[in-house]
This record gives sequence, structure tokens and C-alpha cells, in this order.
Amino acid sequence: MSMNKHDIQHKQAFDEPLWWGLFSAGGVCFAVLLPAVILFIAVLLPLGLLPAEALSYERASSLLFSVPGFLFVGAAVCLPLFHAAHRLRHGMFDISVGNDALNKKLMYGGAALLSALALGLVVAGFFS
Amino acid sequence: MSTEQISTNVISTQSASTKHISVKRYLPDNSTETYWQEYDLPVDDSTSLLDALNHIKEQLDSTLSYRWSCRMAICGSCGVMVNGIPKLGCKTFLRDYEGDIRIEPLAHFPVQRDLVVDMEIFLEHLAAVKPYLIDDNPVKPYDPNAPETYQQTPEQLERYKQFANCINCGLCYSACPQFGLNPEFLGPAALTLAHRYNLDSRDNGKKQRMAELNRHDGVWSCTFVGFCSKVCPKHVDPAAAVNQGKVEAAKHTLIALFKG
Amino acid sequence: MNKSTSQRLPPLKRNWWLKHRFFKLYMLREATVLPLVFFILCFLAGMVALLQGAESWQGWIAFMGSPIVLLLNLLALAASLFHAATFFVLFPRVMPLRIAGHSLPDKAIVAGQWAGVVAVALLFFWLLGRGGV
Repeated sequence: MSMNKHDIQHKQAFDEPLWWGLFSAGGVCFAVLLPAVILFIAVLLPLGLLPAEALSYERASSLLFSVPGFLFVGAAVCLPLFHAAHRLRHGMFDISVGNDALNKKLMYGGAALLSALALGLVVAGFFS
Repeated sequence: MSTEQISTNVISTQSASTKHISVKRYLPDNSTETYWQEYDLPVDDSTSLLDALNHIKEQLDSTLSYRWSCRMAICGSCGVMVNGIPKLGCKTFLRDYEGDIRIEPLAHFPVQRDLVVDMEIFLEHLAAVKPYLIDDNPVKPYDPNAPETYQQTPEQLERYKQFANCINCGLCYSACPQFGLNPEFLGPAALTLAHRYNLDSRDNGKKQRMAELNRHDGVWSCTFVGFCSKVCPKHVDPAAAVNQGKVEAAKHTLIALFKG
Repeated sequence: MNKSTSQRLPPLKRNWWLKHRFFKLYMLREATVLPLVFFILCFLAGMVALLQGAESWQGWIAFMGSPIVLLLNLLALAASLFHAATFFVLFPRVMPLRIAGHSLPDKAIVAGQWAGVVAVALLFFWLLGRGGV
């Protein structure tokens, strides 16, 4: 019995549901949340089109370094990062760049690291 | 057979015109190289691509090989690439094409001769997902004196009906870049049929099929390109079925984790 | 399963997606994450700046206003909307919603998701568009 070969061929992908779940949740955040986030923070704010105190240093700190701020970063940074990681990993396979096993570690690992950094910054701000 | 010939040859004089088509030829007995061959044929508004191929075969060039049978989009054997897009010959009409018409064998399958491809790999993937009703533990044992049929309500039928319209023509495999990049990917039609039987209230084989679906080469190789659903001649929407299969595979994994 | 004996073709060349409009749109959809990653990196920099103090925060706002950064973030805004347009239509196909035995029309699900985009934008306007607290 070539049970080993059989097992390898039929290896269950226990991790893929996790990546796909994060990808999907991140996709929803990217689509529903990010248009407003980018518009207000990356376009209107630097163009000076927001009221002066809207995102002053004090107000921005109190908004971001809070429990709602923590949840906001989870939805607007962490989940979209995993969404991006998933699409980049599959995109690299689509154009035959690198190998999937390594790309997987790099992409999801990178998303996890940056997510930890983002949430860590909120926690650090909360306690400072 | 003679009536067939008449319908192919007699073309109404009002709308008759000539069209030019190019066919990719491959005759392994003569050469390992493929080449393009040009044909001019009389067409009218009702000339399908299959009619055109039959006209070539019967009137112009008997060496041309292609598959066909039913002429009515149910046997699924006349699939070819038309200008790079997988189509059924019988469901494609030359009146819809201006200019170039380039006919090639279905993409992503090894070519045996001219427009005839080797679909063995598709059949292997199909067999792997057990696309038939499985009921190893029927609720009631079979009683030959009072045989009972499996009953199904219209609502239960509705759940899988769309996915049951697949005719195994393989157009979705030619449309799928993930299958083109990785032939071990089970592919649209096989995953769709797996989902179709998983949704069937009479079936108990979901567990066996999930082991095939929840692999890297199962549902997880799909990136929802969606072209499979665009080319499907029966509007099955395989992309939807495959991605619903991802939801099922995720549930299956969660349950497996909790059960240990 | 039986050992596969059937013939395999070599995998597609890496330029396969250039051969059809449909595949180019697919690649464009996948590429929307590139400007997204750029915006997220900017946002992370902003968080670091905010932690460092008022001066850094003003510096970060000035950085966000520099032409190239602004342009890339406008691209990210466009990408998020294109992503939304492509993502929302997939949702009812992946998770067909059924209410009281009837499947919800796809158009209603898509419209509901766009309503979500508008609602979030209104929330941001309420939070940031009206001046001080």
C-alpha cells in the first residue's frame, strides 16, 4: 500500500480556510470602510479641507488611542493587510514569481507583523 | 444522412454570403508542427460554427478532425476556441462574427489531432469528486416488497438545480487560468458537480467529497477569475459553486478542528 | 484515487493574462491591493508620528500633502472604489442569502453594500467634517 503517497496527494489544507476568511473579511473592510478612510485621512486632511481641529494632534490622539480606535485599526489596517497578502500571494502565482510555499510565509507573515505593529502602536498610545 | 447534406448545402439565396475562417491544424502523422489553414465557405444567418466545420469536412477537406454529436448544446462534445474564447460549435453562429474567425482546439488540454483534445485529465478530476448520489447509510433499509423512492420537494430541488445543468463540455477548464497554471487543480466543472451533490437532500457523500475539496488543488486554487461562468453554455455559474464550496470547506475544517 | 496517467501540458506562460480583456480586468482587480498597501504604510507612519508628538504629527500631514504621496493615495481611493464595485457583485454568488425560503435578489445585496459605503462616509463626515467637538 502506498499510503504515504496517498496521504500527500490528499493533504488537507487546514490553513487555507483561515487565510481565505481573513481575505474575505479584509475585502469587505477594503470595500466598505477604506473609501471613506482614504478620502478623509489621505486626501481631505492633507489638502486642508477638514476643519482645523478635526484631526488636531490632541483630537487625533484621543480618537485613535482608545478602544474604538483599536477596533478601527483592526478593521482598517489589519484585515485589509491580510486581504492584500492573499491577493499578492495568488497574484505572484499567477505571474509565476517565486514559489507558493515561500510566498505564503512572506505575505501572511508580513501582514501579521504589520498588524501586530499597528495594534501595538494603539496600545502604546493608550498607555502613554 | 442525405437530409443533413441538404440542410448544409442549400443556403437561401437572399442572405447567402461567403465567410473566411482559419482553423489551427495539427496532424501528428505528418508533422509535429501546427499550422493555420484557411477556408472560404458559404454561410447564411442560420449557419453555426458546427455547420461550417461539417461543410468543410464534407465539401472542402475531409482530413479535418473535430468532435460533435447532438447539434443542440446538450452532448458537450463540440467545444473549440473561437478567437481565443471557448465556445460550443453548435451554439456559435457565424453571423455574429465580422472579420477574422480563428478556430483552435480547447485551451489547456493536450491536442490529439486538429480540434480534438485529450480530456482524460478532466475526467480524472471529475471522478475524484464522486459526482453521483452517495447513500451509504440509508434511513430505511431497502425493502424489495415495498421499494421507496427518494422524495424531494421543489424547494430542495431548487437548491442545486442550476448546478445540475452541467454538460461536461470542458469550456470552463479552457477558460480557467488556474487550471492552465496548475493542471492538478480539480477545476470548475468537477468542483461544481461536487457542490451540486453536496447540496442534494438525497445525498450523504459530503464528507467523502470534502476531503477532495479542502485541498490546495481543490477549492483553494480558485481565485474567482470568473471567466468559467462567462463561457458556460448552460449558465451553470461554476465560479459561484466553487466559492460556495470554499465556505463549505471552511465550515468542514472548523468542525474537524473542534472534533479533534 | 487512481494514479493519474493522463498527459499534462506545461503551465501557462506568465503573460497569459495579457491575451484577453477579461483577464486584464481580473489582474487590475488583483492589483488594487498595491495602492492599498501604500496607503496602509502611510497610515502606519501616521500612527508612529502621532505617538511621537504634535510636531511629528504636523510633519506627517505635510508629508501626506506632497504631490506624489497625494497622487498615490488618490489612486488608492480609486482602487478602493473599483475593488468595491468588483467585490460587491461576488458576495451574493458566494453567499446567497435566503430570507423565509426565498433567495434575496442579487441587486438588493449589492445595493445594500453600497449603502454601507455611504453610511461609513457619513459617519466620517459626522466625526471629522464639522469642526471641533
